[in-house]
Amino acid sequence: MDGRETLSIAVRSLRSHRLRSVLTVLGVVVGIAAVVTFVTVGASLKADIVGEVEGSSANNIYLLSTPAEDEGPPDAPRPVFTEHDVAQLRAVDGAVQVVPQGNLPVSALSYRNDTVGRQQVTATTPAAFEGASFIAGRPFDSGAREIIINRQAQTVFDRNLSVGEELRVTRRSGDTTNVTVVGVVNGTGTELPFQSFVSQARFYFPTAPFYETVVESPTLGVNQRAYLQVTVVADPGDLSATQAAVRDYLADSDATTLQPGGYELSARTSGDIADSLEDLVGRLTRFVTGLAVLSLLVGAIGIANIMLVSVTERTREIGIMKAVGGRNRDVLVLFLTEATLLGALGALVAVPVGLAGAVVATEYADIGLTVPLGWVGLAIAVGLVVGALAGLYPAWRAARVDPIDALRRE
Amino acid sequence: MAETGHTPEPVVALDGVSKTYELGGETVEALADVSLSLPEGSYTAVMGPSGSGKSTLLNLVGGLDTPGDGSVTVGGRELGGLSERERAAVRGGEVGFVFQTFNLMPRLTAVENVALPLVFQGWSRDERRARAEERLADVGLGDRLNHQPTELSGGQRQRVAIARALAPSPAVLLADEPTGNVDTDTGAQVMGLLDDLHAAGNTVLLVTHERRIAEHAGRVVHVRDGVVERIEDLDDPTPGGGA
Repeated sequence: MDGRETLSIAVRSLRSHRLRSVLTVLGVVVGIAAVVTFVTVGASLKADIVGEVEGSSANNIYLLSTPAEDEGPPDAPRPVFTEHDVAQLRAVDGAVQVVPQGNLPVSALSYRNDTVGRQQVTATTPAAFEGASFIAGRPFDSGAREIIINRQAQTVFDRNLSVGEELRVTRRSGDTTNVTVVGVVNGTGTELPFQSFVSQARFYFPTAPFYETVVESPTLGVNQRAYLQVTVVADPGDLSATQAAVRDYLADSDATTLQPGGYELSARTSGDIADSLEDLVGRLTRFVTGLAVLSLLVGAIGIANIMLVSVTERTREIGIMKAVGGRNRDVLVLFLTEATLLGALGALVAVPVGLAGAVVATEYADIGLTVPLGWVGLAIAVGLVVGALAGLYPAWRAARVDPIDALRRE
Repeated sequence: MAETGHTPEPVVALDGVSKTYELGGETVEALADVSLSLPEGSYTAVMGPSGSGKSTLLNLVGGLDTPGDGSVTVGGRELGGLSERERAAVRGGEVGFVFQTFNLMPRLTAVENVALPLVFQGWSRDERRARAEERLADVGLGDRLNHQPTELSGGQRQRVAIARALAPSPAVLLADEPTGNVDTDTGAQVMGLLDDLHAAGNTVLLVTHERRIAEHAGRVVHVRDGVVERIEDLDDPTPGGGA
């Protein structure tokens, strides 16, 4: 039987049972659309991570003191990096810039008559803003009563906060200070990557004069400012050597002595962090996609089910085809074509639906959309294969129908 | 057994054919040592009560069934030695079935139904369309080409079925109680059409349990309990018959 005739008969059979064909296709649509959505969101997330790393932060080495894996209670990170450490790190070969960062204990922020409670208030140095993308204004000056805010912080108060406005800061100690907003940024150049995933309002204060967290430096024996986190901006050509040198220094630093038991110092590049994040995203994507594949399986069972019903209903037709010269193979191909059509229709509808889902999800998560074309193509192929596989057994049953029995049926 | 033997090459020949079925653990002998030959252009009726084996005989000639013993030859080909694929080709090319219940494909139009055997024979689209239109015109349905079976009367459906049976120009036309599902008048028309086809030179094998219908043939083969009881030659009223 030629392909065109087979297709024509198959389409007519499907159309003669429109509702149940549509419902069967819907079963496939749900499965494939879910797969397309999840792989697209996963790919978009990965692309976002890579983009983040490839940006200005590519040469950053992040120093942190965190609890060693699976050890001890997850205490809050401690400020263990002293001014001495910062000074020593500046002397490391390949270190272009060293930017310390700490949390400023603030109990309230007021703008005009509106006061908000605790906010994420960070103390850092002007160098933090060297690679930053400014929406408005300029970096603050060290020692000045100036601050920088991020985009999200503009809308924290009743009225939009912009450059030139004055804020009143209530310190944990109860003291109040007035500061002026001098810049609005999209994140800093040196803060830990992927902070943009957390769309949190941030306020950046200069360490001088505001940052007052001090510890006694074990090396020098004097009280010094101590920071939660230090970012070393390395010479682009020398990233791994610089990372090694930083690790060397850390082994014998104030931070090592100061950090509590069970804590570990790490000096990781954006790439290192991206790798582990990508790994995590990849695992999550695979897991969720696995669930979606399960629903695709349900769709396949739907096709198999409806095709079996169809074979039973059309036993007589099969008998007729065989009586007028149809071979087993012709019948097999006809039913396979119908099943494959159901799968293909499902895939065709599912791709735009799945992509629409991905667009909504990435909009919501505020990340760029990356369509993994290969995966989408694969989803369509899977639809075809699922249809064909699901139709295999029913089609085989159809091909084996005995024409004498079939024609005797009423 | 009975052979009129005046044609050197019979279109259909059964030689010592036996067929048994297993039915609920019991062995039923549907045909026992049946021999029969249909000369080219002959019109033969097989008559017998239900269960006599006449349908089995038709299925064997039509290549739907295979004999347990003996040989069935259609158009010079021994069906026993053929593969399933080759038997399908015989069904589609050498024989044309006409059934009691018409057996048209429900979603195909008249012309598509008639063209269906040609699809399986690998004819091109244009060729089969032309042939199907021609055959439908022959049976007087040239104006019903694109009607679906549900839009046709019983008599018209049976005529479509006859046109389909004739589409590949088969060696023999097999009609199984062709008037069983239509009223008497329509039945007469159908039988008239078969008479005309016979007159035009087609070899016809008719299966029926009605004497009145069987009398259209030139020869009546009486079958009972799987054996040929007797073969009765009639005075064929149709000119050009095989007698």
